[in-house]
Amino acid sequence: MTSSITDDASRRQILTELEALRKEIYGLKIKNYTILGIGVLIFILGIVFDVLIPVILSGIAIVIYGFVMISKAGPREIQYRHSYKYALVTHALKTIDESLQIDSTQALSEQTFISSRLFSKTPDRYHSEDQVYGVAGKTKFSFSEVHAEYKTVTQTKNGQRVDWHDILKGIVFSADFNKNFNGTTMVRPKDFSAVFGAWISTALPIFSSGEVVKLENPDFDKNFVTYSDDQVEARYILTSSMMERICELNNRSKETISLSFTGNLVFIAFPLSGNYFEPPFSKSLMDEALLQKDIELVQFMYAIITELDLNTRIWGKN
Amino acid sequence: MIIGAIILVVLILLGISIYNSLIAKKNQVNNAFSAIDVMLKKRFDLLPNLIETVKQYMQYEEGVLTKIVELRSRSTSPNISNEEKLEIDKQLSSAVKGLMINIENYPDLKANQNFLNLQSTWTESEEQIAASRRAYNSSVTDYNNAIMMFPGSIFAGMMNYQQITVLANTEEERKNISAKELFNN
Repeated sequence: MTSSITDDASRRQILTELEALRKEIYGLKIKNYTILGIGVLIFILGIVFDVLIPVILSGIAIVIYGFVMISKAGPREIQYRHSYKYALVTHALKTIDESLQIDSTQALSEQTFISSRLFSKTPDRYHSEDQVYGVAGKTKFSFSEVHAEYKTVTQTKNGQRVDWHDILKGIVFSADFNKNFNGTTMVRPKDFSAVFGAWISTALPIFSSGEVVKLENPDFDKNFVTYSDDQVEARYILTSSMMERICELNNRSKETISLSFTGNLVFIAFPLSGNYFEPPFSKSLMDEALLQKDIELVQFMYAIITELDLNTRIWGKN
Repeated sequence: MIIGAIILVVLILLGISIYNSLIAKKNQVNNAFSAIDVMLKKRFDLLPNLIETVKQYMQYEEGVLTKIVELRSRSTSPNISNEEKLEIDKQLSSAVKGLMINIENYPDLKANQNFLNLQSTWTESEEQIAASRRAYNSSVTDYNNAIMMFPGSIFAGMMNYQQITVLANTEEERKNISAKELFNN
């Protein structure tokens, strides 16, 4: 896919312009950070060797100058990021499907993340960016990068220590589901906390957010715990074939995925470590493998519609 | 003396807990069957509309239509057992499927919007019934495990609780139901 990146004339022109901008920004970055480094070095040496105050002050002045230069280069950097996403990434997305768009100002809102009930924990710190959206066949879908964290506070001798833990660092995919339903069904990885939660839910239903649904597929049961506020509806959604498809999708992902079905949408969370759709600064844009990682991600997300058979709308939902 | 009293209290609490849990599981089975019942009723209620729409076009399918009407009236008769209801549903499914297969011979009917809606609702109800049967089977398995395992088996014997048979899935339900297969052959 990316091998054709320099074949197309318009794309080549975009690439050439962007590459010139990248070189300019990269040069500026090196220059500005070198100035900043020299300023810091003069300041430290001035302190360590107890030299004249003017030397220390000149160190501080150079540091300030460095920061001013870095902030002045900011708008150029924003312009570069913007052009990269809107011109280059969009161009590449169109090679997969004409309907695909990227919007770096849009993201999965924290409210939607919480109401999706993909995870039981509510985030204390949340960031989401780069929404890609489109239509595959009859199915509208979108996905965004999400980093959601919760904090723990522990008492130490010196006071309190705050630690941050990931709820999810990766991608949240959402799509129109092919069946109508009213309740919420959650499919979560079968780790220790989920197994404990499931036990609590069965033994003491008063503490649970939904009943555990015991499903018949052993492979599915090995990887996931399912909760729902409607036992029949959960099985209406998770048919035998849907469970097999989810297992296949899960096998293609490095870490166990989480799913939720609510408001006639399906949400899928993929834990991923990479940062996607970000332009390179030190590497050339003419690299053949430039967008490979991003394109592979989009292709993977696009294929979910087919993998989960979401375009087969035979149940009265058109 | 005190230790004996504590053991007695613990045993009584344990007994109450097992007793209540068995009753809850039995009720869950009944509840799960009610869900199937609701779905079956929903499906049986579709039939008058379906027959009304179809009979204007399918003059040559008189036999099938009569059979569907007869099954539908049997389903509404009082004092019908759960097993009979399921058996009627099975026969109805097969009769309606037979009817739908011949749809190609009636292009006017195939273009009728009301019929198309009924088709979709009928297929949706197939899926819902399959889901409620699976939910029922899950409750039955839970209940059977509880009455067969120690110490629940002792209480089940005293309460005269019997094992319940799970519902066998029909061939149609085992595979993914496809409208294409059902209607466009």
